[in-house]
Amino acid sequence: MTTPIGRRSLIGATAAMTLTRRAKAAGQVVVGTWGGDYGALLDKNIDKPLMAPQGIEVVQDVNNAEPRKTKLTVERKSRRGTMDVACLSDIDLYTMSQLDVWEPVTEQAVPNLAHVPKAYRTPYAIPQIISGKVMLYNPGKMAPPKGFADMWDPANKGKLGLIDIQYLYVIMLANLAKGGPMNDFSAGKKALMELKALEPRIYPSNEEFAVGMKTGEVLFGPMWLARGVFWKKGGINMAAAVPAEGAIAYVSGAGVPKNAPNKENAMAYLNAMLDPRAQVGFAQSMSYAPTVNNAPVPEPLMKEIGFTAAEQANMKYPDFEYLAKNTASLLDFWNKEFKA
Amino acid sequence: MKKEAKTFVRYTSALILPATLVALVLLVAPLLLLFRYSLNIYSPTDLMIEALTAANYRAAVTDPYYRDVMATTLRVAFVSTLIALAAGFPAAYTLARMGPRWKSALTILTVFPLLVGNVVRAAGWLTLLGNAGVVNAGLQRLGLTAGPVQIIYTEGAVIAGLVTVVLPYMILTLASVIENIAPAVEEAALNLGAPPFTVFRRVIFPLALPGVVAGSALVFILCMNAYATPVLLGGAKFKMMAPAVYDQFVRTSNWPFGAALAFILLAVTLGLTLSGSALLQRRSGPKTA
Repeated sequence: MTTPIGRRSLIGATAAMTLTRRAKAAGQVVVGTWGGDYGALLDKNIDKPLMAPQGIEVVQDVNNAEPRKTKLTVERKSRRGTMDVACLSDIDLYTMSQLDVWEPVTEQAVPNLAHVPKAYRTPYAIPQIISGKVMLYNPGKMAPPKGFADMWDPANKGKLGLIDIQYLYVIMLANLAKGGPMNDFSAGKKALMELKALEPRIYPSNEEFAVGMKTGEVLFGPMWLARGVFWKKGGINMAAAVPAEGAIAYVSGAGVPKNAPNKENAMAYLNAMLDPRAQVGFAQSMSYAPTVNNAPVPEPLMKEIGFTAAEQANMKYPDFEYLAKNTASLLDFWNKEFKA
Repeated sequence: MKKEAKTFVRYTSALILPATLVALVLLVAPLLLLFRYSLNIYSPTDLMIEALTAANYRAAVTDPYYRDVMATTLRVAFVSTLIALAAGFPAAYTLARMGPRWKSALTILTVFPLLVGNVVRAAGWLTLLGNAGVVNAGLQRLGLTAGPVQIIYTEGAVIAGLVTVVLPYMILTLASVIENIAPAVEEAALNLGAPPFTVFRRVIFPLALPGVVAGSALVFILCMNAYATPVLLGGAKFKMMAPAVYDQFVRTSNWPFGAALAFILLAVTLGLTLSGSALLQRRSGPKTA
């Protein structure tokens, strides 16, 4: 009795189609991306220095990840899409790959892919930047946490800060702390319910957590290493400890929709994202580690933003399939049970 | 006479046509589309599956979490409206009875808070009332408290924030009605020996009731649908309906459930506003007649 929704529900596609039609004529590429710092860094490190010399003008289609995913979902059955490149997190890239949205990414089309270690590769997208979920702490006021499990240490009551929008990873790392597998978070959910007794503070956004750390309202919390380095540069007394359970890998990347109007330009864009110059630029300004092995990031910076061989071997990778199916119910748990 | 009436109708329809068209295209059409979505089934992979089911409404109404969210929303909206009315009435009365020179200056001052966006204002409150904010620093320096007092991320902070947002609407609506109450009526009551509070209770307030109804309805609707203030001043654990609707659309892409929540919010707001206005107006009926 039911049929999946196709392009009938496609919103604003007409306007966007006009945009992309013009884009092709002028040798352009439409990149669906976040705005703010990230969009500005794409412009500074990729669009202007690497794409402009090829005669390709980059048009940024700025939005958050969810609207971008929605666009890809509803457009996937139309002959022509509105985006040439879509920047997304590893989880979202996978979720979209399940809808058969992506054009396969090969070394022929994206030569710089040859420098990407096998662990980060997928058939459908390129990895652009990488970091990991670690424990950030105030080194002036506490000893380095040994692992995610330290969150449950009664001595740390009232000192822990969590971030609301990072709920998926908080449940994941709670699960890791209790020895749970990556494809069943029941142990993590139970552990979080117990954690409530230790009164963790829940901040609405990343930035508010940083303010909490700065003012000493909280002394530690799990967050991306890249953010920790960035905030430390900004003057917050903060250090990072790689947890004994293993840092959780976070890769942000980009894919090319099958119905991209400027496919060749799109592949050129993915190649530019992996260009050593762009990779060094992102490492320096965003503190994310490169995903290629030929980017000459200065040694002291690499020590701060990268992981040692042992830490990399112990790194935990999210089970994308499990997350794609359970995100809605995990958010329900977070809102209705943990935060209640 | 008949001809005149016809011309009047023709003019009136011509005058309301542009506004009606705008409302139809930009409000009614999206609402109809959204209502259609609310009857679909959510799918994590397909966005939504076309169907005709009331399951989303059932789920929203039976879930204790969303009942709580609705209760919080109603409580916050009621209290904010009452405070805005209590604080706004004296201000509106003063404004209405003021000489023309001062009146325009005071009107501009009343509207002034509306020139600052909600988000900017709430951000200012954060630095003022945060645990490391100006107020807490002052309290601690004066030795009144040992540690920081939790002011933001509470229901009280949201109510206070909302009242500052809606107060100008209440004052301006009330003032426009009070202006039309002839001062002679008050003077007559005073001359007949009524004390000032009785004048207010028996004369001014009943005559200002249409303004009270309109102002309260406007403010109540604004509070029920508030988004920025509850998000910024309520923090991660505090939930009102508008942010809950947003969460469904943006965090989990559950459009059908988000649409159902939006329609429940719309229905409750509309129902309460209409029945509240009707009740107040009926009460005032016999006395003013």
